[in-house]
Amino acid sequence: MNDRNRHSDRNRPRQGGPGPEGFSDGRLVEVHSHIARDKQEPAQGFSMTPIFVVFLFCAFGFWAGLYLTRNSRGFSASAFDLDAPVASASVGPAVFEPDAAKGEKLYLANCAACHQPTGMGLPGAFPPLANSPWVAGDEKRIIKIILVGMAGEVEIAGAKYNGNMPNVGAALKDAQIAHIATYVRSAWGNAAEPVMDVSVAEVRKALGSRGQYSPKEILEAHPLGK
Amino acid sequence: MSRIDAPLRVPFTLLFGSAALWLTLASVFSLLAKVQLLPSGLGACEWFAHGRLEAAARNAFVYGWAGNALFALNLWLLSQLGRFEIRNGWMAAIGGLFWNLALTWCTVSVIVHGPGAYALLDFPAGAGPVLAVSFALAGLWPVVAYAKRPTGHNFAAQWFVVGASVAFLLAFVLAQVTVVWAPASGVVQAVAHSWYVRSVELLWLGGSALGFGYYFVSKVLARPLHAYYLASVAFWTYFLFAGWTAPAALIGSPVPLWVQSAGVVGCVMMLVPVLLIGLNLLGALSKEGGWSRAWNSTSLRFISLGLTSILASIVLAAWSSDRAVNAALRFTSFSEGQGVLLLYAGVTMCVFGASYAALPRVSGGRWPSAAAIHTHFWASLLGAVGTVVSAFAQVGGRSPDWAFVAAGSSALLLLGHLAFASNAFATLIGGGESPQSHPAHD
Ligand code: HEC
Repeated sequence: MNDRNRHSDRNRPRQGGPGPEGFSDGRLVEVHSHIARDKQEPAQGFSMTPIFVVFLFCAFGFWAGLYLTRNSRGFSASAFDLDAPVASASVGPAVFEPDAAKGEKLYLANCAACHQPTGMGLPGAFPPLANSPWVAGDEKRIIKIILVGMAGEVEIAGAKYNGNMPNVGAALKDAQIAHIATYVRSAWGNAAEPVMDVSVAEVRKALGSRGQYSPKEILEAHPLGK
Repeated sequence: MSRIDAPLRVPFTLLFGSAALWLTLASVFSLLAKVQLLPSGLGACEWFAHGRLEAAARNAFVYGWAGNALFALNLWLLSQLGRFEIRNGWMAAIGGLFWNLALTWCTVSVIVHGPGAYALLDFPAGAGPVLAVSFALAGLWPVVAYAKRPTGHNFAAQWFVVGASVAFLLAFVLAQVTVVWAPASGVVQAVAHSWYVRSVELLWLGGSALGFGYYFVSKVLARPLHAYYLASVAFWTYFLFAGWTAPAALIGSPVPLWVQSAGVVGCVMMLVPVLLIGLNLLGALSKEGGWSRAWNSTSLRFISLGLTSILASIVLAAWSSDRAVNAALRFTSFSEGQGVLLLYAGVTMCVFGASYAALPRVSGGRWPSAAAIHTHFWASLLGAVGTVVSAFAQVGGRSPDWAFVAAGSSALLLLGHLAFASNAFATLIGGGESPQSHPAHD
C-alpha cells in the first residue's frame, strides 16, 4: 500500500460513506434522470454511439438467427447431437420390394399403348408379352429391351414381326423398371422371378449410352429358354 | 442518524450480522473441502467428504452470505435512492430469521445426509417453501422502496436491484416446482435447474452487484456515468439474455439441440449488455484519473475490482460456449474457476465495497480498524486470484501442487473474512454507543 493512501483517511470510510466530494443520493438520481430524459430528444446534438449500438444489435441478432437455424436440426425435440448422421426418412424404405401392383400401373402408362392391356399385342405390329419366352428366363433380356429398345426382324410365337420398340425405359427409374418387369413376368400366365432394382441398375450401367438392340444380338447374349 | 437510516438499524444489523457469520462458516467449509483434495487429506469420515463440504460451502456462501448481505444492502441502497423510510422493519427481520433457520437445517442435512443431485437446490423438500416465504418478507423491500419513491426520478442502480430481487423469487419458486415438488421429465428438470443456477448467479447476485456498481461509481467519483442514456438498454438486454445462457451448461448432454444452441446464443448475446455496462461504468472510471480515485476509496476499490471480474467472467462464458472450446473444457475445473471469478472476485467484492459504505451509515459508528480493512482487502484479493488461477491451471488434470495453492488460497480467504467479520461486528454493535453527529449528504 503506498503512502498516498496511508495518510488519507479514505482507507477507513466513516459515516456518510464516500466523503464530502461524493455525489449526494438525491443529486445522483436527479442528474441521471435528466440525462436519460434529455437524450430521448434528438435536439441534443448528434452522437454516433446510439447508431453504433443499433448496428451492433442488428449484427448480433442476425448472427443469432443464423446460428440457431443452422445448429438446431429443425428444432426437433429428438435431435441431440450435432455430429449424428441425418436420418433420411423422406427417401423411402431402404429395402426395395418388387411390387406387381405398382408395376401394373406403370405398364398401363408406358407399355400398354403397343402391347395392349391384355399383354396380347397387336398381330403383325406389336408382339405379345403373355406366354412369351422372351419375357421368362434370364431377367437381363427384358431389362435390356425396356432400357434401350429393339428393332429388326423377329419371330415370336410363330408370327413374324419387323417393328421398332423405342428406348421406353430411358426415362424411367431403376425401381420403376423393376416393378414393370416384375408385373409383366407374373401376369397373363407368365410365372418368372420378380426383378430387383439393383439388377436394373447393373444392366443400365453396363449398357452405357448404347443404341437399340437387334433381336439377333439379344438372343446371342441371352438365348431363349434360360 | 438520518430519518432513513435509523429505522433500518435493527433489520440491517440482524441480516448483515448473519451474513458475516455465514461467510465465515462457508470459508471454513471450503477450506476443509480444499484440504480434502490434498494428498494427505482429512481421512475418510463421511461427514467430511469433499462433496458434502463443497455443497455445504456453496449453500452457505450463496444463500447465507450473499443472500443475507443482499437483503440488508439492497434494502439500504433503495431506501437511500428512493428516500424511503421503512415502517415495518420487523417483517424484514422475521424473514431474515426464518431464512437463516431454514438454511441451518439445510446445511446440517447436506453434511449429515449428503448433497442432492441438483446444486443449489439440494436441501430437504420442506425447506423450499420456508425459504420462499422468508425471501418474500426480507428480500422484496427494494420493490416497495422503488414503488414508493416520492419523485418520478429514477436511476439504473434501482432497476438492477429491483430486477434482481424479483428475478430470484420467480426463479426459486419455478425451480422448486419443476425440480423438487412436481418433478418434470428428466430433460426438463436438467434445463430448469441450469436455468435456476444461472438466474441466481447472474440475475440475483450479479444484478445486485451491478446495481452497487452503478451507484458507487457515480457517487464516489461525483460524476455522471459515461453514455448513461444506454443504461436502460444495458439493463433490459442483461435481464433478457441472462436466463438464456443457462443451457450452455448442457452442451453435449442429451437435451434437444435447439435448447443447447439457444444457450450458446444467450452466452454470446450477453456481450451486448457487457459492452454497454462496461461503457457506462468502466468508461466513467477511465476518465480523469477515475481508477486512482477508485483505488483511494475503500468502497470503490473493492467495487471496481468486482465489476471488472463480473464483466470478464461473462466474456469468458461467451468464449467457452463455442462448441469446440466447450468440448475441450466441459468436464474440467474451468467452470469452477469461472464460478469463483463471477461469484467471489465479482459479486462478493462488490458486496464488500457496498458494506464498507453502508455499515457506518446505518450504525452511526465507524470502522474501528484500518489494519483489518487492509488485511481483508489483500487476503481476499490474493485468495481470489490464487483460487481462480489454480482452477484454470488444473484444466489439464488435477495436480497436487496446485491443490496446495488452492488450499493456501482458501486459508487466505478465511483470514480475510475473519478480519472483515470482526471489523463489521464492531462497526454494527459499537456504532450505537458513540453516536456522532454527521452532516446529511442528501
Ligand atoms: C411404341 C410401341 C411399343 C412400346 C411403347 C413398347 N413396346 Fe415392346 N415391343 C414393341 C415392338 C414393335 C416389339 C418388337 C420389336 C422387333 O420387331 O424387333 C417389342 C418387343 C418387346 C419385347 C420382346 C418380344 C416379346 O413380345 O416378348 C418385350 C419383352 C417388350 N417389347 C416389352 C415391352 C415393355 C415391358 C414395354 C413397356 C415398358 C414395352 N415393350 C413398350 C413395341 C413397343
